[in-house]
Amino acid sequence: MVAIEINMNMNKLVAASLLFFVFAGYGQDTTQVYKKRVLEYTEVDFLSSYYSQDGNNAAVSGGRGNEELTDFTATYVISIPLNDDDILSIDAGISAYTSASTSNINPWDGDGAGDAFVASSGESTSDSWKNITGSYSHSSDDRNEIWSAKLSLSKEYDYFSFGVGGGYTKLFNEKNTELSVNANIYLDSWTLLYPVELSAPGPDEDDDFDITQFTITGNTAYNPAFTPIGSEGRNSYSVGFGFSQILTKKMQGSLALDFVQQEGLLSTPFQRVYFGDVEDSFIQNFHLADDIERLPDTRFKVAVGGRLNYYINQTFVLRTYYRYYTDDWGISSNTVNVELPIKLLDKFTVYPSYRYYDQTAADYFAGYEQHLSTEEFYTSDYDLSDYSANQFGFGITYTDIFTERRVFKFGLKSIDLKYNTYKRDSGLNANIISVAFKFVKD
Amino acid sequence: MKKKILLPFSILVFMSSCVVVKEYEKVNINDPDMILASRKGERNLLTFQSYREAAVGANGGKTGGGCGCN
Repeated sequence: MVAIEINMNMNKLVAASLLFFVFAGYGQDTTQVYKKRVLEYTEVDFLSSYYSQDGNNAAVSGGRGNEELTDFTATYVISIPLNDDDILSIDAGISAYTSASTSNINPWDGDGAGDAFVASSGESTSDSWKNITGSYSHSSDDRNEIWSAKLSLSKEYDYFSFGVGGGYTKLFNEKNTELSVNANIYLDSWTLLYPVELSAPGPDEDDDFDITQFTITGNTAYNPAFTPIGSEGRNSYSVGFGFSQILTKKMQGSLALDFVQQEGLLSTPFQRVYFGDVEDSFIQNFHLADDIERLPDTRFKVAVGGRLNYYINQTFVLRTYYRYYTDDWGISSNTVNVELPIKLLDKFTVYPSYRYYDQTAADYFAGYEQHLSTEEFYTSDYDLSDYSANQFGFGITYTDIFTERRVFKFGLKSIDLKYNTYKRDSGLNANIISVAFKFVKD
Repeated sequence: MKKKILLPFSILVFMSSCVVVKEYEKVNINDPDMILASRKGERNLLTFQSYREAAVGANGGKTGGGCGCN
């Protein structure tokens, strides 16, 4: 059975790789004509951000508990012109985080008593997400057609992802109209981590945790009917369509339509659920899991979004965005974003922004001890709950088209610094500060 | 739902036949702030939103896959 599954995955990888090279090789032109290079010089973008959040609805502890999380991300994107028509981009990044919530996969491996509102200090407190993506694009001689392809790999302690994708863009109408289509496939797999009281209910030589060494209070006959997950894979298939149009000399808009089909393990194995019809058991202050979240093994998502940008005058630009989203788990959502860039001096632009977001709850969501053990699917992850959120941001951009400031052989073209604060009506607060540097090797 | 998805496409397709802006008239359209995409520096912000919110797609960010997120 395992051999069959490995063989099937290999077939998918081979098919995905073929797709990459078909896109990469398609459309090679032979006509020798004068044309402007698609990208004049090698560009290097350095993107970094610091994110922090706080709340009291941690999914790892069944919808109640400490959600404190901090993350530092650093990414390099290097774009290299291979010739007049082709660009190779390498995108490599690492995201390192510490999380009070995931630390409570094992709440008893720290110095203090186990408690959903206190971070443990064990090894699941921190992790990192590493990613590398290679992409290639080819433009036709008249620059009215663009083919692109990409391959990506990413890795976390308990998650691995392989992705392949391709796209095609066609410009019409003296480049006033643009149509595009893209497709992506992700073949992902989990390393299954369960809440420690479920994965090691008795003495276990391979684990430091031994439940028999603790005193259980409440229902002392703790014996959850836990069934381990049978599948570790998660496949995602998406296809997207884009349409953009210059509407006047000062206004342009675009529409995007994305369809996503996901299959496999769509729940998170270490997120606890507590049932209202099961007696409660505790070790110290921590409520022992009745089960992990259980969600359907398929999900179909549709998102349609539109942008409309208006050049008001030499000082102001208005940027707007709206998205409607729905899926077959019962979630529908609206997103609105408004940004007003203001050019202060030749080289500086400030841009305040506001974003509104709302969503309805998934059919399978209920809070702490609100589920019943007779249900087929259940989760207490508040990311799937009914809520609305407001986000306020302020950014400043420095642009020097002559790249007068230099770092080694690279000229500094721009710096973009932005702060955003995000608040949900369900209690989660988050802040993120981002900085982006663009260098050009001329 | 079909109406919500099809209506904006119909409007923009209709408007596309209204005008052709020549290359030499695109000085305002080519302003960096007029780009029809998120800013590059906002990529990590979009990633966090895709982790914390159910809705994804139609914004140039993640649409699912590549992370153990929603």
